Amino acid sequence: MKKLYFVMALLIVASMILSACGASAPTAADCTKEEVFCVGLVTDVGKINDKSFNQSAWEGVQKSNADGVADVVQFIETADAKDYAKNIAQFGDAGYDVIVTVGFGLGEATDAAAATYPNVRFIGVDQFQAETVAGVSGLNFPEDNAGFLVGALAAMMSKSNKIGAVCGTDVVPPVWRFGEGYKAGAAYADGMNGTTTEVFVVYHSDVGFDKTFTDPEWGAQTAKSMMDQGADAIFGCGGLTGNGAITAAAQAGAYAIGVDTDQYLTLPEAAPRMLSSAMKLITPGVADLIKATKDGSIADGNVFGAAGYAPFHDLDGEVPAEVKATMEEIKAGLLDGSITTGVPPVKP
Amino acid sequence: MDWKRFGFIALIIIVLFSVVVMVGQAKQPPLLIVTSMLATTIAVATPLTLGALSGVFCERSGVVNIGIEGMMLTSAFFGWLGAIYMFHIFKLPPSVSIVLGVVFAILTGALMSLLHAALSITFKVDQIIGGTVINILAVGLTGFLNRQLFFGATSVFKGSVPSSPGVLPTIHIPITELFASACGTSATCLQNVQAINRVFDQKPIAMGAVLLVFFSHYILFNTRWGLRTRAVGEHPKAADTVGINVVFMRYANVLIGGMFAGLAGAYFTIESVPSFEPLLTNGRGFISLAAMIFGNWTPIGAWAASLVFGASQALLINMQIFRDVIPPQWSFLQESYIVGLTPYILTMFILTGIIGKTTSPAADGVPYEK
Repeated sequence: MKKLYFVMALLIVASMILSACGASAPTAADCTKEEVFCVGLVTDVGKINDKSFNQSAWEGVQKSNADGVADVVQFIETADAKDYAKNIAQFGDAGYDVIVTVGFGLGEATDAAAATYPNVRFIGVDQFQAETVAGVSGLNFPEDNAGFLVGALAAMMSKSNKIGAVCGTDVVPPVWRFGEGYKAGAAYADGMNGTTTEVFVVYHSDVGFDKTFTDPEWGAQTAKSMMDQGADAIFGCGGLTGNGAITAAAQAGAYAIGVDTDQYLTLPEAAPRMLSSAMKLITPGVADLIKATKDGSIADGNVFGAAGYAPFHDLDGEVPAEVKATMEEIKAGLLDGSITTGVPPVKP
Repeated sequence: MDWKRFGFIALIIIVLFSVVVMVGQAKQPPLLIVTSMLATTIAVATPLTLGALSGVFCERSGVVNIGIEGMMLTSAFFGWLGAIYMFHIFKLPPSVSIVLGVVFAILTGALMSLLHAALSITFKVDQIIGGTVINILAVGLTGFLNRQLFFGATSVFKGSVPSSPGVLPTIHIPITELFASACGTSATCLQNVQAINRVFDQKPIAMGAVLLVFFSHYILFNTRWGLRTRAVGEHPKAADTVGINVVFMRYANVLIGGMFAGLAGAYFTIESVPSFEPLLTNGRGFISLAAMIFGNWTPIGAWAASLVFGASQALLINMQIFRDVIPPQWSFLQESYIVGLTPYILTMFILTGIIGKTTSPAADGVPYEK
């Protein structure tokens, strides 16, 4: 029996060690010093290398490190939504100057932590500040504009006049704005060209919040189901779930449209069929805010970053010149306000 | 055969399909809706079916296996990694790399189940704890290796994930070609035949899973091996007295179960999507355990139960596709989170025992002491 307990104990300890390796704790102890500028990032339940959202925010933090703004940068991956507060506290206790919390899901935990750590600047990516909280700057993006752009593009490029979008849960306002913007964009293109495009938008609203963004197989099956019913352009908006939809669309030869970053660069499997991506310029947005914190020019409340669409890359030859011109017109129109998406900031 | 159970399952699936057809017929022809939903149902049910078969073999021989989730996740990772290594490091052609990836996944499943077998048969550890160890180990191992190999400038692949050699191709069953002539010049007839054809055009693992269901049924209930397997799961002492090697039978069946779980893992990263994401199995191993119990520890029952889960996902997708044409009095169905509850409500409904009791093998979970 002794041997047996030993084997069991060994196995359990080994598994615990391996699981623990997922979340690396902040190492530098000198963050408490005045002259050392430390930036910590806490991810949402998606991973740091999710090829979209968390990864772009982390790249922004790394950029501030490379530019010499931040001296120490570190991230913690959240494995479970229950750990948000704990993970933020790790940086707070270590004396970090800036803590970037990535995602709508961390909003409440961030506001709570701002009260606990009054000397820390919190940057909440995708956390719309309905009320200003001291110490928190919410970095938001006009997702509806980005969705609008790719929606118009998909509608103009579709041969079957049926396009689809596979998204994470619409409980998260930015995701909902992507989906609604996509519909509005397609309707706008229809209005210009006199076409009628059917738009399928499916959200993965599972009971478990963390599942909705981390289920590529669900995304792939949903995209296939849409293509079975005639859709020939699929917009994947929602972390790993969206990535699954994008890859499935690319494999079936449909147009695939990415989200958050230029996913042509992050999803090699889908690259040949990537039409474009609805981009939120998260990386420069995060880096700018970190710089503003160091300068002391940052303010509480909402800050808005930029949105756009990614280059056509391999499919550049397939996109007619008129479509390219129209896309630039729409982009300019959205910027100067002559075109509006009509999508409210949060779901009514 | 448990006809009441199968009748009940068929009824649920028909109800789910009818709801969507009733709503969606304003937009799409009913036949297209049904065939599209059927294709989704079969594909979604594939990993659940294989997971449930894995459970059937383990538990029929008397070993409880709640580590199926972990086995699937590990196999999904190593199958995918194997395919990439074969493709990029050994420069094998993509098709060979993919097939070898499937082999790697099955072997990984077997190895993980060997660990489970050793813990629960040789060391007589509590089998629930043994399974939990496997689930925790799988999350840690795959997450750790994924990070070490692919993320960060110092990793083996220099921080970029190399493109995988692709996925298994769809196998075309030539129904359209065979029946096209019968349609003559009618275009709608041809469209209908093509729509029906889509249900049968599945990928190899999805097709294989259906064949394996019937193969497993034959093995378990019509061969000497199956009889011995069931004997060691029901009454190991009696089996031992007639000269059946209980330890060997249990080891062998747990290994077979692990291979099924390995194939289910391959479905995720080699058949469905050519990439691995941490935690991508998302609890499907546990759903397949529910399917196994609902199917009363029989391969065909477990398959039917998996199809219910597949159908509920098809409903979930299609109700949102037809969101605009849902009648106003049913407007609550337009909310994605309400249709998202379907699988959970169904599970609760099913497990209330409305279709009669399920009986687990008598010696399930009990280590054999001579």
